[in-house]
Amino acid sequence: MFIPEKGGIHPILVKEQHLNNFMGIINKALEDASISIKEIDLIAFSKSPGLAPILKIGAHVARMLSQLLGIPIVAVNHCIAHIEIGRFLCKIEDPLTLYVSGGNTIVSAYESGRYQIFGETLDIPIGNLIDSFARDVGIPHPGGPKVEALARESDNYLPLPYVVKGMDLSFSGLYSATKRLIESKDYENKYTLNDVANSLQETAFAMLTEVTERALAHTGKSEVLLTGGVAANKRLQEMIKYISREHGARYEVVPLKYAGDNGAMIAWTGILRYKSIGGNNISETQINPKERMDQITIPWRS
Amino acid sequence: MSNEIIVEKLIHKGAEASLYYGSWFGKEAIFKKRIPKGYRIEQIDKLLCYNRTLNEAKALIRVKNYGVLVPPVYEIDAENSTIVMKYIKGEKLKDILHSLTPSQKVQHLKEIGKAIAYLHKNGHIHGDITTSNIILTPTQELFIVDFGLHDYSDSIEDKSTDLHLFKRVLISSHGSDFTICFDAFLEGYREGYGIEKKYECEAILKNISIIETRGRYIKKEDRL
Repeated sequence: MFIPEKGGIHPILVKEQHLNNFMGIINKALEDASISIKEIDLIAFSKSPGLAPILKIGAHVARMLSQLLGIPIVAVNHCIAHIEIGRFLCKIEDPLTLYVSGGNTIVSAYESGRYQIFGETLDIPIGNLIDSFARDVGIPHPGGPKVEALARESDNYLPLPYVVKGMDLSFSGLYSATKRLIESKDYENKYTLNDVANSLQETAFAMLTEVTERALAHTGKSEVLLTGGVAANKRLQEMIKYISREHGARYEVVPLKYAGDNGAMIAWTGILRYKSIGGNNISETQINPKERMDQITIPWRS
Repeated sequence: MSNEIIVEKLIHKGAEASLYYGSWFGKEAIFKKRIPKGYRIEQIDKLLCYNRTLNEAKALIRVKNYGVLVPPVYEIDAENSTIVMKYIKGEKLKDILHSLTPSQKVQHLKEIGKAIAYLHKNGHIHGDITTSNIILTPTQELFIVDFGLHDYSDSIEDKSTDLHLFKRVLISSHGSDFTICFDAFLEGYREGYGIEKKYECEAILKNISIIETRGRYIKKEDRL
């Protein structure tokens, strides 16, 4: 995994890291599965959304392997893969999904052939908010679990901006406000880091829960799926579980190992697509860094 | 004449608020109370209910100055997140639209278009224009209710979004009357927006079709 020494992810550095490591990762995966590379029947890779230089490495390697081994190839959307692995592992049929990670904050449900987006962040994703805050207070990556631990030690709430527009959310003002709190002279006099972490979590998660509840009422779905890296947070789980129960909906959270980004979800979604309508032509395997999940039809569900 | 406040019965329970019927110093009244949410901590819940109650009440008081018919506010009890307002006797447009004559439909939808234009021209976004939120009184007056999602904005995008929601509602709930209703609505909207802001008005209306082409807003029949 790429862990920056300081600051955020620099696309060029990650690209180098991917280039240097893909062969080792493929070998490790083959070893773990105790199979040879010749036994692979299908190759799937993530074509969208993401940072272009990094997506390209995956696409290049996948295309090369597909042609070298003479096996079909499937280009997969990362966000859809999160939902599909959740549906598979939690044995859930047709959920309203709250997908919360470092790169995405999306409330989605399947309707009319697509995973429609009912609500999303208008600026920064929730995971990015928590990571940025962690970085500002000197917590190394990954910041989420440590911020959660800090928040658990406090019951003190400092008012922070709460911005919900219909079913969409905005976190950038919340980030600036927490930054101001830790730069203020009152910091560590009138309130502690624990208080700020608690206030940040309570505000951001209440916003997420409010839009999820609204989407749940709007779509009338009877299942709720929580996924993405931030799904590991116990406080968020508790809140989403609460509204699911209130609406009589079944609640599931994707197991931690498969809630964060992983290769298995890409592979599984590739299998679904291949079984339904076959693989992609090589000409269809270009990356599409800005593609939205609601632009893609889902042949295996229609 | 009674000089007390009596909350008689619950008449509607929504996701955000409950509506009670009662009387307020002898006047028929509606009590709109926001429901506390158990998933969020009390400080956040109180602040949100308080602010949203005040925002809604302020909006109701302000927009009536622009010639838009809304229920007059009798009392704001922000501490208990309750707004007391006049009970508007009438039918939801949603329930009676199909039974109106074509000329009545045109007349009413034109009127609604005008009222929404007055709101938009003055920087108010209703946020939830649906036929359930429009009441037709026995004297043929049209009241716009539920300013719970109200916001202030001068942006073309926000205004088009507001109109687009109404368009979707007309399609999904009143499909057979859609064309006649929406055309009349647009006519009224243009008239209400006025000749001096004609270009802004046309930009807003044009932007509706741009919103429609975005994936998440494509109407069901057109989706794959």
